[in-house]
Amino acid sequence: MERRWGYLVLVFAVLFMLSGCSSPPQQELDAAVAAIKDAAAAGGEKYSPEDVKKLNDQIAAARDEMKAQEAKWFKSYDKSKEMLVKAKADADELKPKIAAKKEEAKKSAAAAEEAAKAAVDEAKTMLAKAPAGKESRADIEAMKADVKGLEDGLAEVATLVKGEDYLAAAAKAKAIGEKAAGVSDQVKQAMEKVAAAKKGKPKK
Amino acid sequence: MKAVRPILLLALLGVLLFSGCQGPPIPQEVRQAELQELDLWRIGGPLYAPEGYQQYTSALRRAKDELIRESSRLSFLRDYGRVQADFKAVLQEGEGLRRRIEGEKSARAQDLQKQIAARRATIEQLRWLASIVNEGHLAGKALTKAEVLLAEASHLSGQGEVDAARERLKRLNDYLKSAQRTLAPIFARYTDHALLAKWQRMVAETVAESRRRGKMAIVVSKFDRLLYLYRAGNILKTYPVGIGRNGSSDKVRQGDSATPEGRYSIIKKRPDSTFHKALLINYPNEEDRAAFAAAKRRGQIPRSTGIGGLVEIHGGGKDGMTYGCVALDNDQMDELFDLVDVGTPVTIVGMTESKKELSSAVTGM
Repeated sequence: MERRWGYLVLVFAVLFMLSGCSSPPQQELDAAVAAIKDAAAAGGEKYSPEDVKKLNDQIAAARDEMKAQEAKWFKSYDKSKEMLVKAKADADELKPKIAAKKEEAKKSAAAAEEAAKAAVDEAKTMLAKAPAGKESRADIEAMKADVKGLEDGLAEVATLVKGEDYLAAAAKAKAIGEKAAGVSDQVKQAMEKVAAAKKGKPKK
Repeated sequence: MKAVRPILLLALLGVLLFSGCQGPPIPQEVRQAELQELDLWRIGGPLYAPEGYQQYTSALRRAKDELIRESSRLSFLRDYGRVQADFKAVLQEGEGLRRRIEGEKSARAQDLQKQIAARRATIEQLRWLASIVNEGHLAGKALTKAEVLLAEASHLSGQGEVDAARERLKRLNDYLKSAQRTLAPIFARYTDHALLAKWQRMVAETVAESRRRGKMAIVVSKFDRLLYLYRAGNILKTYPVGIGRNGSSDKVRQGDSATPEGRYSIIKKRPDSTFHKALLINYPNEEDRAAFAAAKRRGQIPRSTGIGGLVEIHGGGKDGMTYGCVALDNDQMDELFDLVDVGTPVTIVGMTESKKELSSAVTGM
């Protein structure tokens, strides 16, 4: 009889060990969530949204695995722990990638801003060279107003760069550059027309 | 033998415990659904079909909860039949959602393209209207800002950034309104029926005089930027012309860069003008003097300002602007110069007939 009790104690001891010695990987979960938040704060949602989404899905899958284990008699959190460790490692790995993408966007925005400035300067130079005669004055004045609009746009680009909105800054700078190039072309055409008109004028 | 029995029991228990790792495989639909959800997110589910996407993710959540519940059971009790059915249903719902997302995406892209095209047309129309009256400098700044935003919207639309593109179009509207406010008063006179009737009467009188006398007469329509040369009441030639910088206005005083409106005549032919060749007209006429005096009395013109003069039809090019003169290309000026004489009537009007496109454009403003 005593021996039977002994066996029962032994069985319960084994059951207790198997079911109770495993606890949810809360520390790993917290660390992974913090790492993903860091990656998102570093610009992940703007520069690598799909990667951030995948990381969040990894966390969700790990939570599901934890839930599944919680409902079991004999819990094992090894798999969820492993998933969380991987999610954290992936998030840590993503962070410098995001920083690199952001840096790349910053460089692109700076290059586009420089190109736009150069294009606007070129248009201004062309306008300054344009003949002041009345043959083209209205067109030239209209184009000067256009360039003022472009200069205002350049100020907006600078504001966007300052606010680290590099993608929007690059898009605006590109549009300004194209428009400025169009103005330069128009000035060239106006100058050619004036030159042609002068050619046809008899010398007095 | 009695000692062996409990050991066998323990071994059996151990086998049962560890058999948890060997349960039935998780249905492949589970992974397929996870990939599908990512794909639906990627193609813009939360943006294009937020409600449907929400329903889909809720269904997926429920299926996953069922999977968790089933996975929690002892391996020999697990049956993924229901889980598989649930995930199949999710996959089916996902396919329907994908079609809805793609349909909505396509509809929104088309709508955005229409909006972009409409704004582009409005900008072009305003540029055209401004160029007609040489007033590009007034609306140019606002229109340029609108064009930059339009280019951004177009670029963002190409990248599928619908919301950002719409935001640019919304901001663009403010600049269009600003340009419209600037130009609207200038065009108001071109849609003034009483003024049009006056201009038409002046033209009719000039043409009738040409017919009666069998002589040449010139009519200039400032809106059309055309000079019509009549002989014996019939149009002999039509020349494109340039007009004053403030050409849309009637000339009132010196230095207003407006082209005068009224009935004049050629008072001098200048074969050696600074602007190739020129035909001087008798601006100001009596009507101009009366209008000038009245404006001065009303205090609309400073006392020291004169009425101006030396208004000519000259060469130099139709594409330019003038201080109030009417300019032709040199070769056409040569032709006109030879066809007219001192005394030839010159009638300058805003326009000769109502312009439907202008009326609708101005009404649209």
